[in-house]
Amino acid sequence: MKNAGTLQQSVELYKKEKQVLLALGNDLTGVRDKNDLMILFKQRIKGLFHITHSIVMMIDNKDATYVPFLLDNDDSPIKSHKQYQEMVHAHFALNEPFIQAVLQAGEPVSFVLEEVMDLPQSPAFLRVNFEVGAKEVLVTKLMKEGRPMGFIQTYTDIPGGFSEEFRSIMHGIAPQLSSAVSNIIKNEEILKKEKEKSFLLDFSCDIAAVRTKKELGLAVRRAMNKLNPQSGYVIRRINEDNTTLTAYVFDLGARTGDQKVISVLLNSKFPINDGLQDRVLNSPIPLLFNIEREIQRGIKAPYLQHWKTVGFKNFVGIRLRNGETNLGILLLDIEEINIQLFQGICAQISIALANIMANEQIGRKQDEQAFLLQFSNDITRVRTKMDLQEAIATVLESTMHTQFAMIRLIDEDGFHMSPFLYNDRLFGKATADFGKMAATRITIEEIYTSKVLASEDGLVFNIEEELNSGNAYAKLWKATGLKNVYGLPLRMGNKNIGTIWLLANRLSQLLLKGICAQISVAVANIQANEKLLSYKKQLEVENDYLKEQIKTIYDFSEIVGSGEEMQKVYRLMSLVADSNTTVLVLGETGTGKELIARAIHGASPRKDKLMVKVNCAALPANLIESELFGHERGAFTGALDRRIGKFELANNSSLFLDEIGELPLEAQAKLLRVIQEREVERLGGTQTIKVDVRLIAATNRHLEEEVKAGRFRADLYFRLNVFPIALPPLRDRAEDIEPLTQFFVQKYSRTTGRNIRKVAPKVFQQLRSYTWPGNVRELEHLIERSILLSTDGILDDVFIPRQNVEDKLENAFSINRSLAELEREYIIQLLKRCVGKVSGAGSAAEILQIPGNTLHSKIKKLGISKSDYFS
Amino acid sequence: MKIVVIGGSGLIGTKVVGLLRQQGHNVIAASPATGINTITGEGLAEAMKETAIVIDLANSPSFEEKAVMEFFQTAGRNLLGAEINAGVKHHLALSIVGADIMQNIPYMRAKIAQEELIKKSGVPYTIIRSTQFLEFIAGIANQATDGNEVHLSDVQFQPIAADDVASFVANYALGTPVNGTVEIAGPERFKMYEIVERYLQHTGDPRKVVSNGKPEYFGGEITHAALVPAGKATLGSIDFEKWFSSQTQKV
Repeated sequence: MKNAGTLQQSVELYKKEKQVLLALGNDLTGVRDKNDLMILFKQRIKGLFHITHSIVMMIDNKDATYVPFLLDNDDSPIKSHKQYQEMVHAHFALNEPFIQAVLQAGEPVSFVLEEVMDLPQSPAFLRVNFEVGAKEVLVTKLMKEGRPMGFIQTYTDIPGGFSEEFRSIMHGIAPQLSSAVSNIIKNEEILKKEKEKSFLLDFSCDIAAVRTKKELGLAVRRAMNKLNPQSGYVIRRINEDNTTLTAYVFDLGARTGDQKVISVLLNSKFPINDGLQDRVLNSPIPLLFNIEREIQRGIKAPYLQHWKTVGFKNFVGIRLRNGETNLGILLLDIEEINIQLFQGICAQISIALANIMANEQIGRKQDEQAFLLQFSNDITRVRTKMDLQEAIATVLESTMHTQFAMIRLIDEDGFHMSPFLYNDRLFGKATADFGKMAATRITIEEIYTSKVLASEDGLVFNIEEELNSGNAYAKLWKATGLKNVYGLPLRMGNKNIGTIWLLANRLSQLLLKGICAQISVAVANIQANEKLLSYKKQLEVENDYLKEQIKTIYDFSEIVGSGEEMQKVYRLMSLVADSNTTVLVLGETGTGKELIARAIHGASPRKDKLMVKVNCAALPANLIESELFGHERGAFTGALDRRIGKFELANNSSLFLDEIGELPLEAQAKLLRVIQEREVERLGGTQTIKVDVRLIAATNRHLEEEVKAGRFRADLYFRLNVFPIALPPLRDRAEDIEPLTQFFVQKYSRTTGRNIRKVAPKVFQQLRSYTWPGNVRELEHLIERSILLSTDGILDDVFIPRQNVEDKLENAFSINRSLAELEREYIIQLLKRCVGKVSGAGSAAEILQIPGNTLHSKIKKLGISKSDYFS
Repeated sequence: MKIVVIGGSGLIGTKVVGLLRQQGHNVIAASPATGINTITGEGLAEAMKETAIVIDLANSPSFEEKAVMEFFQTAGRNLLGAEINAGVKHHLALSIVGADIMQNIPYMRAKIAQEELIKKSGVPYTIIRSTQFLEFIAGIANQATDGNEVHLSDVQFQPIAADDVASFVANYALGTPVNGTVEIAGPERFKMYEIVERYLQHTGDPRKVVSNGKPEYFGGEITHAALVPAGKATLGSIDFEKWFSSQTQKV
C-alpha cells in the first residue's frame, strides 16, 4: 500500500511534472518578450507550488560575473526594498562559494538564506531577499551548448518550502527555460537589428532627398529625434586648407547656449590636430569622449569649454568619409555607442555631404565660368598696363582671394625675360627686396621659369616646401601668408610669351587656364599697343628732328640765287667756313644775314653742335650782359638761379651775334674782353671759364659810321671786322628775283594749300622793276600775300606797295638836283629796273603813269641813251 | 581596480585574467567572443569605462603580411583611442624579443608598428618583450618535420613558460608604467634544435632532429642571437624539466 501509495505519488508527480512541462513547453515556444516568460512561468508554477518570486540571471563571461536579466515585475516583494535598483544593475562575481556550489551541482540547489547570506563572499541580493521575507532560494542552472549561461532563482517565504517535486520540475524545465531565454536574447538582438535597419532605411530615404545644407540638418535632426530627442550634434567639415575643420550643420538639441559664443564657434576654423578632432579622424571606430576629462587632459579646443558650460557631458565622435577621403566629423551628444548604427548614419551623412559638396562644386564651376566671362569682358577693355593691373587687382584680389605677384615677358631675343607688371604692394615690408628681385632681368633658363614654361598648365609651388628647399623667393612668398604659388605660362597659340605668378591658397584648374588665356591676350594687346605708341613716338621724334634739320641745316644750296653778286658771297663763305675766324656779315635788313651765318656754321667743323644766336637788339641793355656771360645766383636783384651765358652755351660751337650794332657800349667792352681772352666770367662770379667759340656777327648798320659817331667801340669793330661778308641788296641782284620768286611760290603754295601752277611773266617784270627796300624778306612776304590773294592757280598779279617806293625814291634822289637832272636820273633808274622796257605792262611808262609816247619823247628830250640804262 | 585584458581568452590571456581575478581585481576578459572587438571597435568604449589598466595580449587571426600589419595597426589605434578617451592609466602590451632586429619578417614589422603606436599614444605604457614560449616547441617541431626528420636551425633559443609570462604580465601591469620596454626570457638558453630534440625524447616521439645550421625562424633569415635577449632580461623560474613535468601531469 505504501508502495502503491508511493507509486501513486510518483505517478502523480510525473503526471504533474509532465503537465507542467507540457504546458510550459507550449507556453515557452510562444514567448518572444522577456516579461512574458516570467509571467507565464509564474502562472504555471504558482498554480502548483508556492513561491514568492523568481528571477533569471545571466552569466557575463567577460568579467566572470552574473547579472539580473529577467525580473518578476508584477509582484516581486523585493521591489520595495531600497537596494532593489542597486541589485538590478549589479554584477555579482562568479568566483565565490555560493554560486560556485550551484555551478558544480548537476541539479537545482536550494539554500536557506539565513545560512548563506552573511558568508563573506556571498552576493548581496541574498540578504535583500531575506529582508523582505524570503526564507529559501532554489537556484537552477541554465545551460547552453554544454556551458552554464545563467540561473533561475526562485524564492519562497516558507522554510523548507521547496518540495522534491518542485525541484524535479525545475530540473526538468531548465532546458526549456534555457532555450526560451536564448530565444528571448536572440529575439531581442533581432528586434534591435531590425529597428536599426528600419531606422537606417528611414534615414537613408531622408538623406537621399538631401540637396542642401539645410535639408541635411533637418534629416539628421529627424534621425537624432529617434535616438534621443534631447541630444545635440554637430557636423564639421574639413576646410579647403586641409588643416582645419569648421562647423557645417549643428543642433544643440534640448540645450541652449550663448548665441554670441555659438556664432563665434560656428565661424571658427578648428585645427585638425587639436588632440581631439585628429583622434576622431584617425579612428575607424566611433570614439566616446568625456568633456570634463578632455579638458583635464589639457585639450584646449575652445568648443570643449563651450560644451561644458552648455551642459554636455559625453559625446561620441565619428569620422565622415567618402571612400578613403575624410570629409569631416560628426559629434553626437550621446552616451552610448552603437557602432553599427553610427557607422550606418555616418555612411549616409558622408554621402549626403559628398553630394552637397558636389552640388556646391557645380555651383562654383558655374560661378567660375561666369567669372571668367566677366574677366574676359574686363580684359578686352584693357589697353594699358595700368588697365591690366586694375583688372587683375579687382578680379583676382577682391573676388578670388588671390594675390597677383608679377608677369614676366620674354624679350625679343627670345632668351631674356623682363618684368612686365608686378604688384609691389604685395609683400609689405619686404617690398624693397621684391622690387629688386622683380626688376632683375632673368633668362628663360632660370630654374623655376623654365619649369613653368615647360609645363602644360603651369605649376603649383607649396611655399612651405619651397622655403625648406631654399628657394630665394620663398621668403617673400611666405610674407603673404598664403599657401601656394602658381607659376603659369602665358601663351599666344603655342608660343610662350611669358609667365605669370599668383599667390593663393587654392585655385581651380579651370580658372587658372581661363585667366592665363585672358591675360595672355591682354598682354599681347598691350604689347601691340605699346609698340604702336613707341613707333608713333619715334616717328614723331624723327619728324621733329627732320623738321629741325630742315630748319637748321643750311648748305649753300639752301640759299637761293646764283647771280654774280651771290657767287661772290658764296666764295667768301666757303673760304672762311672751315676756319675759326670771326665773320662779320653786313647787309641791309632782310638780305638773309642769319641765313648766311647759319650756312657758315653749317659748313664749319662745328656743325654738329647747335649754333647759338643772340639778338643784341632784342635784349634790354641791363640784361644783355647776363644773357651773354651768365650770372651766379644772387648776382643782382632777380638773379634767383645760376644762369649759363650764351658764350658758355656756344662752347665748341658758333655764337651768332645778330644786330651787333645795337649792343650797348658797356657790353661792347666786355664782349671785347671775352673775344680777346677767350674766357668768360659770370656776373657775380669769381671764376673764369675758358670757352672756344666761333663768332659770327651781323648788322645792317654802317659800323664805320657808328664808330665815327662814337656809338660803337673802334677796337671791337676791328676785332669783328676780320672777315666781312657784305650781302648785296635784292635790287642789285635782279637776276635772282625769278628763282627766289619761284622758291617762295612753292613754299607758300605748300603751306597755304593753294596750288599755284604758274607765275605770269608780267609778275616777274613787275617784281624786277621794284627797288625792294625790305630785300628778300619783303619779297617773301609779298609773294605770300599775293598767293593768298590769288584765286585761280595762276599768280598773275603782285601788289607792290607803290606809295612807299616813291617816298623812298624821293628821299634818295631829291637833294640838290634840278628838275631835269632829277627826271633824267629817275627815268634811267626806272628803265634799268624795267630792263629797258619803255611801254607796255611792267614798263617804265606804266610806273610813271604816262603814255609810252610821252616817255619816248622825254627820253629823247633828256638825251637818255640805251647805254645809260643797260650798263 | 578595473582591468581589461584584450585577448583575454588566449593562452596567456586566460592565465593573466585568472591571476588578476585571484587578486580581487575587476577583470574584463575582452575578445570578440565576449563582445569586445578591437578591430571593429564593438564594445570597446563601454569596456573602457572606468578602466585603469589595459593589457593587450591580442594576436592577429592571420599571419599574412598585409593582414597582420592591418590587425596590429587598426586594433592598436582603436584600442589606444578608446583608452585615451577613457583616461586609462596604464597600457601593457606583450611583444617579442628581437622584434626590432628581425624586421625582415612581416610579423615582427607589425609588432614594431604596434609598439610605435603605443609609444606615440601618450598613454603611460609598459612593453614586455618576451622570448618564445615553451608551449611553442611542439609546433616548431611539427612545422619543421620532413618525413621522419625534423630539420631545425641552431639559433639560440631561450623559451619561457606561459605561466611565467602570465605572472610577469600581471605583475608589470599592476606596477608603475615603465614607459619603456622590458625583456623577459626563460631560465635556460639552448640551441633551437637541442631543445626540440629534448622535447621529442621526453615525449617518446620517434622523429629525429637534424641541425641544418641555417639561421632562420619561421622561414625568415635571422641572426643567431636574434631570439634571445641581448642585454639584461628578467628570467622566469620554470625551466624545461619543471615545465615538462607540469605538462605531462595534465595530459
